[in-house]
Amino acid sequence: MQRCNLTSRIIVFVVLTLSLASPSQAAAETLFVGYSDWPGWVAWEVAVEKDWFAEAGVDVQFEWFDYAASMEAFAAGQLDAVTMTNGDALVTGSTGAQSVMIIIGDYSNGNDMVVAAPGIKSVSELKGKRVGVEIGFVSHLLLLDALESVGLTEADVELVNVPTNEAPQVLASRDVDAIVAWQPNSGQSLSRVPGSTAIYTSGDQPGLIYDVLAVSPRSLYANREEWSKVVDVWYRVVDYILDPATVDDALSIMSARVGLSPEEYAPLLAGTRLLRREEAKGLYQETEGFDSLHGSTSISNDFNLRYEVYRDPQDLEAYIDSSFTLGK
Amino acid sequence: MTKLDLPNYKDQSPEVKARFDDLKQRDVILDVKHLGKIFDSAKGPVTALEDINFQVHRREFVTVIGPSGCGKSTLIRTLAGLESATSGEVLLEGAAVSGPGPDRGMVFQGYTLFPWLTVKKNVMFGLRNQGVSAVEAESEALEWINLVGLEKFAEVYPDQLSGGMKQRVAIARALAAKPRILLMDEPFGALDAQTRSKMQAYLLEIWRHIDITILFITHDLDEAIYLADRILVLDAHPGRVSELIEVPVSRPRAPEQLLRPEFLAARQRLDELIHPPGQGDEEVGKLNMLRFANVGEEVQPQN
Amino acid sequence: MTSAPWLAPRIALSQQRERVLTLLSFLLPLLIWAAVSYTPFIWHPNMEITEPGSVNYFQEGMQIERETFQEEYNTQLEAGGELPQGFRANPVYLPAPHEVAIAFYTSFTTEPRRRSEQWLHESLWHSIQIIFWGFTLSSILGVPLGILSGTFAAVSRLHEPFIEFFRYLPAPAFGALAVAILGIYDGPKIAIIFIGTFFQQVLVISNTTRKLDIALLEAALTLGANRRQLLFKVVIPGVLPQLYKDQRILLGWAWTYLIVAELIGTSSGITWFITQQARYQNFDNVFAAIMMIGIIGLLSDLLLARLGKRLFPWERSSNKS
Repeated sequence: MQRCNLTSRIIVFVVLTLSLASPSQAAAETLFVGYSDWPGWVAWEVAVEKDWFAEAGVDVQFEWFDYAASMEAFAAGQLDAVTMTNGDALVTGSTGAQSVMIIIGDYSNGNDMVVAAPGIKSVSELKGKRVGVEIGFVSHLLLLDALESVGLTEADVELVNVPTNEAPQVLASRDVDAIVAWQPNSGQSLSRVPGSTAIYTSGDQPGLIYDVLAVSPRSLYANREEWSKVVDVWYRVVDYILDPATVDDALSIMSARVGLSPEEYAPLLAGTRLLRREEAKGLYQETEGFDSLHGSTSISNDFNLRYEVYRDPQDLEAYIDSSFTLGK
Repeated sequence: MTKLDLPNYKDQSPEVKARFDDLKQRDVILDVKHLGKIFDSAKGPVTALEDINFQVHRREFVTVIGPSGCGKSTLIRTLAGLESATSGEVLLEGAAVSGPGPDRGMVFQGYTLFPWLTVKKNVMFGLRNQGVSAVEAESEALEWINLVGLEKFAEVYPDQLSGGMKQRVAIARALAAKPRILLMDEPFGALDAQTRSKMQAYLLEIWRHIDITILFITHDLDEAIYLADRILVLDAHPGRVSELIEVPVSRPRAPEQLLRPEFLAARQRLDELIHPPGQGDEEVGKLNMLRFANVGEEVQPQN
Repeated sequence: MTSAPWLAPRIALSQQRERVLTLLSFLLPLLIWAAVSYTPFIWHPNMEITEPGSVNYFQEGMQIERETFQEEYNTQLEAGGELPQGFRANPVYLPAPHEVAIAFYTSFTTEPRRRSEQWLHESLWHSIQIIFWGFTLSSILGVPLGILSGTFAAVSRLHEPFIEFFRYLPAPAFGALAVAILGIYDGPKIAIIFIGTFFQQVLVISNTTRKLDIALLEAALTLGANRRQLLFKVVIPGVLPQLYKDQRILLGWAWTYLIVAELIGTSSGITWFITQQARYQNFDNVFAAIMMIGIIGLLSDLLLARLGKRLFPWERSSNKS
């Protein structure tokens, strides 16, 4: 009977919806990873497209999100791992969704920029000017670093809270004298406002922002073997992208993920410094400053505390697990 | 207004008198005792009805008339159970009534046909509520539709009918549910004069052929007399029974009787009760006289 | 016989005129759009550079405000440098009609480049399903509740004050909660459509129910209808045509929640396409996608209007006007 059919279908649907709601304990088999639009994370698409996880004998499901939505889903316990910056890992962790960074995938090498309106050619000229920045997030950190590099402090500029994806329009409106953003917004700001200059970029301070794969402690504990295989696949991806013989294939896969042509995508990739295993190993020393994950994360922690993103200092040791990269 | 030289409205011909004697012997269908209704309004309680007493006998036709604000509508809605009485009681064949029920059928001025049902389904509505099978209800409904002369329209939706036809369906629908009394709230008030007089004839014809008691509200004096055995005249503010007039006109009724002296006598009495002199209603009265005088062919309009 | 004036108050138009005006209602905005796009002296606040000349930061293909262009042009004129060349252009946010038409066509015919990618029509279909389920689940609860509270004052009092409060809360704000409870896939998206629809639905339908002529209920009472019969044989059939129209309007509202709903959890559907294309400034694709939503909405509404005429034959005569 028609009606029974529909009713039963609705019941099936409701049951399915509810079953989605139950925590993913049953996913001990499948690892769910959320990733989003940043070249260092889009890189995973190469492994997905080429089925390298199956080859490595690990069942991984990558799900595409908006960046903020991916962290939300991770915080809600719906994902086993998520790609984010080391600073945001702390912020997410402070709300109760702790994570362990097991891969340092890349650091921003020029993609994050302070873009100044025509006429301003250096950071020191920012004194007394209005700067649009998403307050409390990585761009803010970059701005502080830029100011510090010329002996200025935050007190020397006027901050305007601008969402990163609106940066190009805001700069074009000339309501601010500079904006801070990352790609693609930083590049668009440059092309939208003729005569504007990138007066400071993450390339000036490598290691300010590390992009990582952060795994929930529970999943890491339960599936250590599996995650180890995921890490191996990652370094295979990095090698593939950095190999001049295969970079074009990698670019075509990655650009397809975000709906661009490979040519359009190449410059975005260039601003991202992907790290081979050997390079990454060097970033696990416990040093001060930006040339280690510890140092960079510690600076983020101080920054977050200063801007009251959270109140209690995070236990950085628990956030970093170098064993996957350093080798078994 | 010129006073006509008319007989006393209380004088009854032997035939009429015999009919009333017979009526009074019949069972009391509706017994209204000390009925009162007070509404709460923002300005305090308003007495709509006060100490209403009357009885309606089996197969009697009673019309209710009164100036606006006399509570005619409140009265009939209370009898139907759509409003609750503040005091007193209503007995239907001896049993007190509270809420609405199928034993008191109602016909509204606004037709109130169910627009999503065909004429036939409308008429079947009451029967189906009472658990009559679909087949039986259908054949009964068709009989009623026949009786009101709408057999060609059984499968038509109400919005394709004229006002008079709609009201005939409404009457058929109310009667099909087999009420003990039919309450009619200005049912022909929205109809044009011609349709209205046809409908009056229809109603009297139906009433003559079936065992039904009718309480009929109107604001039209001629209609009140033409249809009724007795007329319940109400006063306004508060609504009270002013007089219960026995209509001195013989049955069966025909349009010619509108000009009979006894009809005019009753007419004059109603006029006095409803439009007491010195209340500025003279003009209305004159216009009414003109209208009904025009209907007749032998009589010239009075100036 | 002279034909009636075009502007006669409350007089129905002839069918021919109706058709002409319907066509115009679409043509006029299209004409304005075309005029702004193709007539260089209307708007076109920018210059697109074809020849950078001696201006150091100019690049071929770059857009720049006309004033700035003029300044640089004058500067070069005085300095005797090479003059920049360009033509007037609209900002990238406003693609021309033909660009959108091409984008419309190619977006449907472009094969997915990745294995896990969907064809555009599959994405659209996914969005339609989100709407369908969100709206259906909302209706399963909202329509009966609306009818009950329109019929019984007690039911209305019990929840309408709360709903009056809740309906002002922005549905998207429940995104994180929906993800935590319903996962990352379609569950939370459907939930947002549900929240966006349900509360309005209950209020709209209870209001429609309350507008049913009370005399019909009274007539049914005097015909011996009990409470159940009143509800099922009078109230429900009585409000059905208007309820159906309400549902059509509510379905339109549900569509407006799609874009926020699909941003929650995994990126999917037509929203993924729109946001991704907007992020990389491909506004011809964005416009094409917006048009698709409009077309789907309009067509489904026309279809439902047709269906309505069949479902409610007694409304036919009043539908004519």
